[in-house]
Amino acid sequence: MFDIRKVRADFPILSRKVGDAPLVYLDSAATSQKPKQVLEAINDFYTKHNANIHRGVHTLSAEATAMVDAARGKVAKFINAKTEEVVFVRNATEGLNLIAYTWGRENIKKGDVVVVSLLEHHSNLVPWQILCEEVGAHLRIIEIDNEGRLILDGAGTTQLTGRMTVTTGGLASLLDERVKLVAVTAVSNVLGTITPLAEISALIKKKAPQAKLVIDGAQLVPHMKTDVAKLGADFMAFSGHKMLGPTGSGVIWGKKEILEGMKPFLYGGDMIGEVKLTGTTWAGPPSKFEAGTPDIAGIIGLGAAVDYLTNLGMENVREHEKELIGYALGEMEKLEKEGLVTIYGPRSAEERGGVLTFNVKGVHAHDAAQVLDKYGIAVRSGQHCGAPIVERFKEMAMARASFYVYTSKEEIDFLIEKIREVPKIFQI
Amino acid sequence: MDYRQEIIDHYKHPRNFGDLEEPCIAVRENNAACGDMVEVKGTLTKEGRVHVLRWRGVGCAISTAAASMLSEEVVGMDKSDLEKFGVDGVVGLLGGEINAGRMKCATLAYNAILKLFTTGVR
Repeated sequence: MFDIRKVRADFPILSRKVGDAPLVYLDSAATSQKPKQVLEAINDFYTKHNANIHRGVHTLSAEATAMVDAARGKVAKFINAKTEEVVFVRNATEGLNLIAYTWGRENIKKGDVVVVSLLEHHSNLVPWQILCEEVGAHLRIIEIDNEGRLILDGAGTTQLTGRMTVTTGGLASLLDERVKLVAVTAVSNVLGTITPLAEISALIKKKAPQAKLVIDGAQLVPHMKTDVAKLGADFMAFSGHKMLGPTGSGVIWGKKEILEGMKPFLYGGDMIGEVKLTGTTWAGPPSKFEAGTPDIAGIIGLGAAVDYLTNLGMENVREHEKELIGYALGEMEKLEKEGLVTIYGPRSAEERGGVLTFNVKGVHAHDAAQVLDKYGIAVRSGQHCGAPIVERFKEMAMARASFYVYTSKEEIDFLIEKIREVPKIFQI
Repeated sequence: MDYRQEIIDHYKHPRNFGDLEEPCIAVRENNAACGDMVEVKGTLTKEGRVHVLRWRGVGCAISTAAASMLSEEVVGMDKSDLEKFGVDGVVGLLGGEINAGRMKCATLAYNAILKLFTTGVR
């Protein structure tokens, strides 16, 4: 296990104050803070090496290109992928859209089926919803139980009709020969639920072997050791900024043979094979999907973030967060017994990432978050880009405290202490 | 920002909260980011000034207090009065200090009431 004090010392922002109070940053599921090693890597690039990549023979361009290649190598090793399977995008959302606009529109036709889960972030729901509407495909949605766990068995289906008609049910009852794609999150950003990817993948292989599996890894890769060779998936998207890297850095991983067969997403510089006025051919992956100048500094910063996490050890990162969420759940359950809060999501640390989702009874999540902000505590409130999940629990909004490598038990104690102040302010 | 006693008071005891019988003008406004909803019903004088106004909805203390305070403030106003009052006026009612993250909460009812002037009676 790593020394939390040493880790915290690497994050300059953690020493700032909010008003008079020290910052207690509990919104890492939205974006993580950045260690000085990442900030220095970005600064070093702009200070000493800044040039465009793959474009010049001059020294700076060669250095910048080598730095991006090195970062790609680090990311590939981090998730046990081949380097050509790592495509840099801006964030997980862009990655998921890339898959929907390329593989999706080439392969999903009228009458086909796309399966997603109720736990999806809007970025892994809306692109598939739109695709289904556009091509006349059907959307099916894996239901969740009252603790926010995916229901895998085939306990019947229900039809929901609004702008479009969708089918909801347990995964087994949604899989058949018409399913072309299953897109599912590895860890819910709203409830923290760790989904059983191995079981999901096995079920797909059994009941819909033709279907591709897309993983939203935005809350997985930053927090748990990820091995794409063992995921049983075809694609995975994740964001660099949620794993200590800068904003503007994201990744999709795809199986090489699938990426090779796909059309490009954006057309332009750096993604071409040969350009003639009479026609153009494409470069191979990953260049094919990286048109235009990428966020070079962002990618280099992400490389430094991967180094930082590798040094900590991803098993240690998960162990740290598991301990925190177990502790936080225990403390929150005391408040629950007193009738002060409602807790959402799985109650076991085994099944849950470092995400604590709650409401203070009788208080809107925005108001609770606003009160906590007075004490320097940053929590997210609202629908967390997962409106259907919030609605599933018959709420308008939820508050969420999310943890990372720099989060301490003392911060959780402080959160719990200040949650007690919230009902007093609203005279409940 | 602080939850001043006035905000808490309007939140706990919202003024002009309720429904209005038709014929009246009805406007519904949602805040997609947090699920808050406000429905404003009102009648206008023949000069186009707010005569009666009722509202109901679900939301946070800021959006509830803003709706409640505005429901008292806007009676007698016409469209240009309300536009002149503006978002700054709403922030003023709430104590003058609303951060960017809460502006949607603060202005939900304001945006709904503004639409009263351009929505037909039903």
